[in-house]
Amino acid sequence: MKKNFAGSEINMTPDLKTQTELSRRRFLQTVAVTGISSVVPNVALALEAPESQAQEMGPKANVPVRALPNPIIPNFQGAYGNSSTPSFQAPKRPMGSTGLQVSILGMGGYHLGAALSQAIVNDMVAKALDHGLNFFDNAWEYQGGAGEERLGIALKAKRHQAILVTGVSTYGRKKDVAMRMLDDSLTRLQTDHVDVWQVHDVIYYNDPELAYQVDGVLEALTTAKQQGKVRFVGFTGHKNPSIHLDMLDRGFHFDTVQMPINPFDPSFRSFERSVLPVAVQKGMAVFSIKSMSGSGESVVRGALTPTEALSYAMSVPGVSTTVSGMNSVEVLDQNLEILRDFKPLAEEQMTALREHGRQFNDGRYELYKTTVKYESDLGRAQHGFPSSTELPA
Amino acid sequence: METRGSIPLRRFGKTDVQISALGSGGHHIGVAKDENTAVELVHTALDGGITFYDCCWEYCRGRAEDWLGKGLKGRRDKAFLMTKVCTHGRDGTLAIQMLEQSLRRLQTDHIDLWQIHGVGFANDPDLFIRPGGAAEALIKAKKEGKVRFVGFTGHKDPEVHLAMLNTGFPFDAVQMPLNPFDGTFHQFSFEQKVLPVLKVRGIAVLGMKPICGRADPVKRGVFTAQEMLRYAMSLPVTTTITGFSDMDTLKQNLEVAQGFTPLSESEMQALRDQARPYAADGRFEPYKVSLQFDNPEARMAHDFPIDLQQIETKELVAETQNTGWPFPS
Repeated sequence: MKKNFAGSEINMTPDLKTQTELSRRRFLQTVAVTGISSVVPNVALALEAPESQAQEMGPKANVPVRALPNPIIPNFQGAYGNSSTPSFQAPKRPMGSTGLQVSILGMGGYHLGAALSQAIVNDMVAKALDHGLNFFDNAWEYQGGAGEERLGIALKAKRHQAILVTGVSTYGRKKDVAMRMLDDSLTRLQTDHVDVWQVHDVIYYNDPELAYQVDGVLEALTTAKQQGKVRFVGFTGHKNPSIHLDMLDRGFHFDTVQMPINPFDPSFRSFERSVLPVAVQKGMAVFSIKSMSGSGESVVRGALTPTEALSYAMSVPGVSTTVSGMNSVEVLDQNLEILRDFKPLAEEQMTALREHGRQFNDGRYELYKTTVKYESDLGRAQHGFPSSTELPA
Repeated sequence: METRGSIPLRRFGKTDVQISALGSGGHHIGVAKDENTAVELVHTALDGGITFYDCCWEYCRGRAEDWLGKGLKGRRDKAFLMTKVCTHGRDGTLAIQMLEQSLRRLQTDHIDLWQIHGVGFANDPDLFIRPGGAAEALIKAKKEGKVRFVGFTGHKDPEVHLAMLNTGFPFDAVQMPLNPFDGTFHQFSFEQKVLPVLKVRGIAVLGMKPICGRADPVKRGVFTAQEMLRYAMSLPVTTTITGFSDMDTLKQNLEVAQGFTPLSESEMQALRDQARPYAADGRFEPYKVSLQFDNPEARMAHDFPIDLQQIETKELVAETQNTGWPFPS
């Protein structure tokens, strides 16, 4: 059991304790399984095989197989690897004032792009769609473009089922750079439009000022909307609520905003307390991120279970969808199980989780707020910061 | 040494104590080429008119205090000696143990100014003032005559400094980064947010990081080291702490400090304007926006990840190797 500074035991209700131990064990097992699949050759081969077959078969591979739930996903064989999850449909919510209905759980693009192979990405996207997950996040800079490319392939002929989201990584640069990035994104995603285009990682204190400059990235958002290349626009960030509020206060009409939401946030530089109400009041769609601290730091250290983490974020009023990073079918399965059993947490459960989070209010489980750990090299370079190898956090 | 006049002395807060407007940074003493160099640096600094000597329990795993103590031996009465305690939220009893170690290494029976080191995490003020916390150690040590004055230091967030001040604890001194970038980084400006409060309360202001810690703005050609040091020394502060590990750097610092006259407000404003394009994202103040400059001692106390490449972490690990040498390097 962890101790706090005063040496006393962390105060958890018995229910939470049991759940912690059970779910943690499950999570760790999942991690182990994922780890094994990367080294055991037959598993890897089984996943890679369809891709090579398809290349040999040529045009025939495009023949649709109507009996299967995802007939036209390239290389999809009708089963998602070895795993099975009972069929159910993810609940949906209105996505702000956009008129769209979005699943309460969304797929994070960075982790999806980091999956072992295209075949796994195809399986994951197909399986997600079959369970009603329709939110697919990405960014121009993820995996140097491979993140978008992989998602584009996996969504081929399924594009209409998805709310496709990507980010533009200008970091203070101007409209022309942004428009070039949008064209890159559309090409890679194999589509003529994205549903939501967001200014990615507004995390430096002068980013709002730079975004609002004449000929800045916000003008690109407007132009892209007029051209029909994007339907809705927004911005993302994880650093400080003051930066988000600065972006909002300067007056541009954003449809969406992305921010960290987890039980640690309410007691430390809180987005939930200071930005969320403003966004809701403006009728914006709020996408929550960092439910498990960004890389599962709070989960592997035993401060939260995956169930607690996702349930909390999905239960915060005003959040449209909770974007969760998944880099394997196993992690997707874990999230689907959580989603299947999900009931919005009662206010007292939410309060208990926030109280539990309060004892870590030095930011140890929100490193993206106090350190440069989650700042990409691209953004750092634009702001004259050392790279991630020179300055890890 | 040529004469340029002496280093101005300034009043330490509301007391009658006078200290030199330039102070010696303790970490740099600990990373001098060798012990003889360190001792010689201290002697030259004393002769040059520097009376304020900073140090810290955790610098170089104790080597900095050890070498500073050797440099001050026989000249202790000429120095206003400061060292810091590294509880980082932990108990007051630990603070007292650290004080005893500091006194032994510094070869003295009292510290002139004993400060809580590296206050930067949002919950540090609560952990400091809680029953059994380090606040009790400061009071005890003062009562026993082992320290004359007490304060705290930090380089992270002005709001945390203000929260420390709002605990109501009677601090004699507060240390913080002051340089042209800090002066224009609105969100995290100690100059704008903390300095005025200290002036009102009559608390001694100790400036540090006049050249941003590792002189990055100097290396990138934005300022000269002299410009930055003059800026910091011209603020309404008691002293500006700067580090030197070799004789040339010490002499450059003495050249600025001896016979120093503060810059005019328009000269100060010109330096701020020059800093502004680089200040707003914190690129030259990594101690505010990243974990750089946060020692493993602080990170571990707060369960933050440590950086295995960091020199302080390597020293910490090397401590367990029992090489027979007193300090790992």
